[in-house]
Amino acid sequence: MACMHDHSCEDHDCSSNWSLYKHIDLSKVSALNEAVPGSVKSVFKAWEQRLNSSEGHLESNDGDPELLVFIPFTSDVKIKSISVVGGADGTSPSKLRVFINREGIDFSDAQSMQAVQEWDLVENLNGALEYQTRYSKFQSVGNITLHFPDNFGGDTTQIHYIGFKGEATQLKRDVVATIVYELMPNPSDHKTKAESGGGLSHIE
Amino acid sequence: MVLEATMICIDNSEWMRNGDYAPNRFQAQADAVNIICGAKTQSNPENTVGVLTMAGKGVRVLVTPTSDLGKILACMHGLEIGGEMNLAAGIQVAQLALKHRQNKKQQQRIIVFAGSPIKHDKKMLEMIGRKLKKNSVALDIVDFGEEDDGKPEKLEALLSAVNNNDTSHIVHVPAGPNALSDVLINTPIFTRDGEGGSGFAAAAAAAAAGGVSGFDFGVDPNLDPELALALRVSMEEERARQEAAAKKAAEEAAKEKGGEQQPASQDTTMTEGPSASASEAENKKDDLMDDENALLQRALAMSMDDTTSSHDVRDTDMSEAAADDPDLQLALQLSVQDSAKEGNDVSKLLADQSFVSSILATLPGVDPNDPSVKDLLASMQNQSEQKKDEDKGPDGDEKK
Repeated sequence: MACMHDHSCEDHDCSSNWSLYKHIDLSKVSALNEAVPGSVKSVFKAWEQRLNSSEGHLESNDGDPELLVFIPFTSDVKIKSISVVGGADGTSPSKLRVFINREGIDFSDAQSMQAVQEWDLVENLNGALEYQTRYSKFQSVGNITLHFPDNFGGDTTQIHYIGFKGEATQLKRDVVATIVYELMPNPSDHKTKAESGGGLSHIE
Repeated sequence: MVLEATMICIDNSEWMRNGDYAPNRFQAQADAVNIICGAKTQSNPENTVGVLTMAGKGVRVLVTPTSDLGKILACMHGLEIGGEMNLAAGIQVAQLALKHRQNKKQQQRIIVFAGSPIKHDKKMLEMIGRKLKKNSVALDIVDFGEEDDGKPEKLEALLSAVNNNDTSHIVHVPAGPNALSDVLINTPIFTRDGEGGSGFAAAAAAAAAGGVSGFDFGVDPNLDPELALALRVSMEEERARQEAAAKKAAEEAAKEKGGEQQPASQDTTMTEGPSASASEAENKKDDLMDDENALLQRALAMSMDDTTSSHDVRDTDMSEAAADDPDLQLALQLSVQDSAKEGNDVSKLLADQSFVSSILATLPGVDPNDPSVKDLLASMQNQSEQKKDEDKGPDGDEKK
């Protein structure tokens, strides 16, 4: 389980830093231009498993290297850095652009909008590289969209692992969950304790 | 119950004046659109549908995706026919309309009615298809109207470029007596939706076809669900009972194969003589242990409309022969017994004969050995449920 970092790993456990994958809402993760629908969910795993693609990886359609990945979190997170493991033979993505807290972005939006931050990626087959974020902009991230516009010349783009390093706050971004709106009062919705027979004032 | 936003692209070009679909192509298309909208909104209340026209002065969006069925139906009125269809622009505008849908959680789908010749080339259509696939937009194509030389191939190429995991479909509808909407109802464009859509579609089909609903029991599950359920349950129970009885009879037939061989040889040698048939009926009756069970089987078979079709065919053949030649008819009946060696049919026939002969024996003034009575016996046995009334008339007269 070599950490591949040039520091000694005894003082901290690398894997726990990359634990933001636990806060990803996997059921709502989606990707555009993926060859196999649903394969995007396989790239979010623990740090130790980052090179293990037995459960599949994310691949774009033939002849089209663009990929768009939408990742919602279960609570607001702060992201310190991002790590991406691509495929071999030029299928690794070469650029990464991210958008924060925007839903429903598609390719034309992604190409025209200004990204929150952009990186030029290198081929990172063992996952040792991480890309630092401008932390002040990534303080309360409810969802993040990753746009990979290009790769290193391969026919498709393959991604085996995406990891996030940072902290999770407990704040939930999403709002009104279970509020009942009434047009007219409905007594059955407002059973009092006396009616349901829970109180002491029950008289035979 | 897929949550979906749909854009329907209508072809209102000059080619739609043609009357090869009743009443004309445009009306057939409009009916189909109405039914599709209804099915979509019924299968999931949050579904939205929008409509645009591809011909005329240019591509025009009549209504943006909405769940209000009334608005959609209203905009279909007063549409004018004219111009030439621009398929590529139509699909692209539809994609743009879907992109700006209010609920981003909806899946995107475009339904295209391609009735006039397509002037774009295959490559351009494939490019459009790939762009749709990239943005995960599904596409349904209805190929009707003009049958151009390259049209089906172009549309198939478009479909294969768009198709992602079988979410897109194409339907070719040739001109004919069936309405366009009726043909579409049986296609994946409707049935993919599952129970909700197909229920609505089936009800619409029942209304349109005037009562020929095509359900199992002639009862629309939408109109009378309890009755349909009761019929289905009783049918399954009978089927299970019949299978159990058939299994039992098959075991017995296997057991008594030795005993049956002798009567079989008697069948082939004795082709005439009603007494012979009576005697072998007695033999087989002795061999068969569960007479009662066989009677029950026969009763069940009579109550169910579809006995084996071959049985029915032979029945009709033999009922015609009954009028002509009782001997010939007996020979036919024995050959039926030969070929239908399954325990089921054999026991049914035998039980019939023995049961009826026993009843006739108890009737006063009737001699079971009378040839006319034998004729009646044999003919009754062959008719099963259908022609009993017709033949009993002449046979009864003959008897008197």
